Amino acid sequence: MMRRVAQSLVGCALVVWGLSATRTSHAHSASDAYLTLSAVSVTPASSGNVVIHGQWDIALRDLDFVLQLDDDGDGRLTGAEVRRHQSDIEHYAYRFLKIGEPGRVCAIKPGRQMVDDHADGAYAALFFDAVCPRTSRKITLNYSLFFAIDPSHRGIFVMHGDKDVATALMSPDNPRVDLSF
Amino acid sequence: MIFEDGAHLDAGHHPHRRIRAACWSALLCGLGGVTVSPAAEVAAGSDLAPPPPFRAPYVPADDEVLQQVPSTTDPAVTNMRQLRRSPDAAPQSLPAAKTLADAYIDYGRQVGDAHYAGYAEAIIAPWVRAATPAADALVTQATILQYRHQFAEAREYLQRAIKIEPRNGQAWLTLATLDMVQGDYATAGKDCVQVTNTAGVETGLACSGNLRSYVGQARQSMAVLQQVEAADAAAPASYKAWIEGLLAESAERLGDWPLAETHYRSALKWLPRDNFLLVAYADFLLDRGRPHEVTPLLADHTQSDTAFLRIALAQAALHGDQSQRYIWIMAARFEALRLRGSDYFGREESRFALQLQHDPDTALDLALRNWQVQRAPWDARVVLEAALAAKRPQSAVSVLEFLERTHLEDPILEPLYHQLRAQLATAAGRQ
Repeated sequence: MMRRVAQSLVGCALVVWGLSATRTSHAHSASDAYLTLSAVSVTPASSGNVVIHGQWDIALRDLDFVLQLDDDGDGRLTGAEVRRHQSDIEHYAYRFLKIGEPGRVCAIKPGRQMVDDHADGAYAALFFDAVCPRTSRKITLNYSLFFAIDPSHRGIFVMHGDKDVATALMSPDNPRVDLSF
Repeated sequence: MIFEDGAHLDAGHHPHRRIRAACWSALLCGLGGVTVSPAAEVAAGSDLAPPPPFRAPYVPADDEVLQQVPSTTDPAVTNMRQLRRSPDAAPQSLPAAKTLADAYIDYGRQVGDAHYAGYAEAIIAPWVRAATPAADALVTQATILQYRHQFAEAREYLQRAIKIEPRNGQAWLTLATLDMVQGDYATAGKDCVQVTNTAGVETGLACSGNLRSYVGQARQSMAVLQQVEAADAAAPASYKAWIEGLLAESAERLGDWPLAETHYRSALKWLPRDNFLLVAYADFLLDRGRPHEVTPLLADHTQSDTAFLRIALAQAALHGDQSQRYIWIMAARFEALRLRGSDYFGREESRFALQLQHDPDTALDLALRNWQVQRAPWDARVVLEAALAAKRPQSAVSVLEFLERTHLEDPILEPLYHQLRAQLATAAGRQ
């Protein structure tokens, strides 16, 4: 009898830790990224294009999970390792951000990549410009970073307008936001 | 500018506050001309403004260590990577998906990282969404939800699993835990009977042993748990650590501090980096007036929010020169949680508000909201402590009645209980 139970415990880790009523508080906040877009400008005036400046902070921990940035596997992600993977990070991330609609897609032009410290660790800071044809007063943003591998990921979106700041929480249930100008 | 649809975080909220956690660097906030510097925020609420702990986005030096990540020298990490290949190779196999999901949950729990619950959820999702889901998939989903304190949703999944497979021992055990967490001990007792019927006598005994510590039978709880432990000397380390952790808690219920410490240390011998055990032991040390032992204990676990709070509490108790900095970062972490819409840190937030922000009214509100969803001894304690500090004994009545009803023994709760009852009696006498 004892042996059977022990074996069932080996085979099923949940039995072991499923029961500890006073210790249910989990410890680390789940995955967040911060997407900040800034005030709109029209440059050059003759082109009629709308340019949106952006900064996208994505946790290095999350990027390491999908891209294995820690080349030597020592658990310490260095500046050199992150730099070596900058183009991987860029290619990966921008696949999950679409601005504009079919026929009026904004071109995302990646800029420099830096590191930004947040309360829960270091993030890759991806700077970019989105160049949108000025044919509409509305621009749709679709965000799907990490949703396929972690539905609890949240994109915390901040839009700085001329006079105000608006925020939205991007999730698998709310991957889209319409920006009006 | 407005959002025409999509989820609004909080339309009516002042934007500075909402974006504070998003903008560690002045540069990020400064993008649109809004400037909220961390130092300015702290200075507004404190005379002891420490230097801002974060810098503007920067280009790191090559040898600068930016982030700790799971190391491939950790067997658990290599095991997860190997398991990750199985669902790819056999996408139709629920056991492969479940094994990986369980490994993620287990690892996330040990190191105190909620990301892994998300990874597990993604792996198990196709099985949960199936037209006729397997009970095991629903139980795994319930475990993830329970971990996130989404208790009502977790319960629904467990009830569905039990309907599909009434003899699913794991479902009953998880339900028993849920009922204990929420203070429904009568139902938990019935669940434990089902655990015995479906998962075996020893697991059932562990279930009821744990339960007894909440209903004034801590001594019997210890006897039962010791019996369970002795029954199989060859049990895996995680199982032994779990039983030792429960024994430590029961010893605390009895006020037998040396015995509790022996069990905590023994549990940590089996699982030295287990976040839950480390945090419970750190709380023990804080209660025993030994804050100087907390920082070394948790030094390698600062990424865990629960561990970080204990370090902040210890630093404050020691009047350490970094204590304001710890408080600032802890506040920032809570703010980041609020931004993402999470409120399942009520117990921790209440302690933070009371002990580190010296705001008993906020602490009491947080503790009472937390009490609506979970009712473990620590959940009772944060209500009682905050109610005393806020001089609002009436707010704690439902917790006092709960303690009377359940006969919970606890040498720390007991004096709080009596003080509040005395204050209530005095107030009644005045009327």
